[in-house]
Amino acid sequence: MSPAPRDRGVLVGMMSLEDGSRVDFSELRAARRAKIFSRMETHGIDALMLGGAGDVRYVSGARQLGRAGVLPFAPVAVVVRSTRRVHLLSTWDEGVPPEIAREDLYGLSWNPANLVAALGAIPGLRESRRVGTDGLTPMFAGLLAGLVDGAELVDAAPVTAAARRIKSAGEITCLDVASAIAESALSALEDALQPGITERELLGIYHEQIATLGAPNPPSESVCFATPFHGPVRFRHLASDRPVGDGELVVLAPGALYAGYESGLARTRVAGASAPPGAADLASRCAQGIDSLLAVCRPGNTGADLYRAWEDAENPESPVPLAHGLGLGAEPPVIGLGRGADATLEEGMVLSVQSWVAAPGIGGCLERATVVIESGGALPLTRYGRLQ
Amino acid sequence: MIPDLPDLARMRRERFERLQDQLEAREIDGLVLLGTSSVVYATGAAMPAEDGDRAALFRAVAIVVRGESAPHLYTLYADGAPPEVQLHGPLFPDLDDGMDVFAKAVAEHFGAAARIGVDHQSHAMLRGLSGYVWVDASGVLGAAKILKTPDEVACIRHAQRVNELAMLDALSILRPGVRQTDLSAAFLRRVFELGASAGGIDPIWQVMAPYRELGPWTSHGDLAYPTVTTDRFLRHDDVIWVDAGIMWQGYASDYGRTWVVGADPNAAQLRQFWRWRAVVDACLEILEPGVSALQLGRVAIEANDGVRPWIEHFYLAHGVGTDSAEMPLIGTDFGEQFDEKLILAPGMVAVFEPIIWEEGAAGYRAEDIVAVTDTGFIKLSGSTYDPYGFAA
Repeated sequence: MSPAPRDRGVLVGMMSLEDGSRVDFSELRAARRAKIFSRMETHGIDALMLGGAGDVRYVSGARQLGRAGVLPFAPVAVVVRSTRRVHLLSTWDEGVPPEIAREDLYGLSWNPANLVAALGAIPGLRESRRVGTDGLTPMFAGLLAGLVDGAELVDAAPVTAAARRIKSAGEITCLDVASAIAESALSALEDALQPGITERELLGIYHEQIATLGAPNPPSESVCFATPFHGPVRFRHLASDRPVGDGELVVLAPGALYAGYESGLARTRVAGASAPPGAADLASRCAQGIDSLLAVCRPGNTGADLYRAWEDAENPESPVPLAHGLGLGAEPPVIGLGRGADATLEEGMVLSVQSWVAAPGIGGCLERATVVIESGGALPLTRYGRLQ
Repeated sequence: MIPDLPDLARMRRERFERLQDQLEAREIDGLVLLGTSSVVYATGAAMPAEDGDRAALFRAVAIVVRGESAPHLYTLYADGAPPEVQLHGPLFPDLDDGMDVFAKAVAEHFGAAARIGVDHQSHAMLRGLSGYVWVDASGVLGAAKILKTPDEVACIRHAQRVNELAMLDALSILRPGVRQTDLSAAFLRRVFELGASAGGIDPIWQVMAPYRELGPWTSHGDLAYPTVTTDRFLRHDDVIWVDAGIMWQGYASDYGRTWVVGADPNAAQLRQFWRWRAVVDACLEILEPGVSALQLGRVAIEANDGVRPWIEHFYLAHGVGTDSAEMPLIGTDFGEQFDEKLILAPGMVAVFEPIIWEEGAAGYRAEDIVAVTDTGFIKLSGSTYDPYGFAA
């Protein structure tokens, strides 16, 4: 196979192919590790102790149990520059890639004293002078200070967040696959959408579809909401039990994860045969909104350019972010809600960009796309037809 | 008296009072909470379940001020905010950008040098929120959470009911050639139809090799469990240990059962099940307020002929609440002295999950959830153990 197939479509599937044309995960992991060690060198950081799900995945490449929600900081992965080893909190080796040897694993402890003792046995860690973490708790601040006596505990983000920001070709392929899974979920939701179905039933169908495809962990369970004809139209995140009304505009916004990489998209559809009067205008405003945002997603532009594009399209301030980073889950920057005006877009960043417009008496319309910033502008990774 | 369904407003009020009592007792001026389960406990906020870094970047923050009557909630998900909370916009604690907004919010609630409990600190917070004495919130949270109110117990019981009902759908499609993720698909579709508020943890359908040494390598030589679900095909005679923890109203459930693929359990497997039942029954026999975790561990070992019937990295039993495993933890690496001092009390919830293992014949694992009452306990999980038969 040629190293870069001209038709990238062959890469967008989940089964490995015997010619090896799909994602080469050992290469992907090796490239991520190389980036991490190189940045540790640049920033003079001797060791990393990481607890964030995305950071742990990035440095270890391990398949870890999917769980909703965020836990307080605890050291789940440890990277030591002097030995060039990555250590992982895992009592077993299943799901752990081969470059992390069995002796590089430290087991699950409920007792923090035992955890710290296990960390203390990691070669090279105690000698570290500058240790980067991706969070702390008052308890771990005390325990780690005792472990790496006299070391400075610093922010790991200049190493981890910076390494994660710009995606490699392999990472983009993972995002392509995640995009295709999300599109498949959107098709399933679209098929099921009819007056009388509930958001909760749609959420069940979403889960069934992504799990059937082999990717059962949702990036978010906020995947659909119907918008009312009457009264204020709010962006909602939680599935309700109310049957969807005939003619209501319904937001379908599924995401998916592939090897930890998150993509997602949103389209708005009419439940039933006829759309409410004004829906076409609303859909067109929504489309103009996202088109104007995408038009300024170029290297060198900043969040302020997105704010300006949104205002120039005569939209009020959005109650949801206009854009945010994607990769191993959601990433900085967040552009919108007063944040991110100074964030600079760079080639190789991946963004979720969204346009939410609403009109009392009609409903709401959301369009969301996952795009990669290329030299010429935003290249969409998600594809789907629009509401006409 | 456990209500059939919880009074959610009362539950939130009583939890908040517990936090206030702890703040008072420990002379802490308030809490700044960032972890999902702590925010849910303190505020009752509903939020869409989100995976790892999405849950972090878009996290809600709870601020509890000693002496106030309701918590403050800073969230992007206003549609999940209970009526009594003081609702504010999101804070994005993981970003430096906008940390001034967070600093202003904290300054509105606390004076200089206030002692504030916190469960997680981002580096942006360490840089931007100075001038306070930050202490670990785990003491306050742990002490408040370990004793459940009757409404909390009702939430766990309902979450469990939803979980168990949906498992009937998954069990009904179990046959050779079904993949682990197919079981997830059937199960997850049904839990949401039945009203689950979140999937919580990726459901586990681990195939147990007949011998330890044929399973994944482990650092302690004991079993690996739980390993992550994939599209692995399930095949005739596979013994699978099922574990799922969907959420309802912020509370986790915990379904644990053993299934056999394509065949009925054989005589050896049924013996394992009865042994498992005997171990749990031995624990339940002595379970009442005042019994220690150590005593429970000892009767469990005795009922298993002197062999510790739980996996080395786990426990005989764990609590469940807004976290899927929380105190009381019984039989962990905290050690015997800890267990001796851990005395069961009314309002504690315990998930007993011993395992019975026979080299060459795999083993049996299931989970029974009970709540300790004034006089004994009540069972919160169901009493069918298909396909191993019925047993109370």
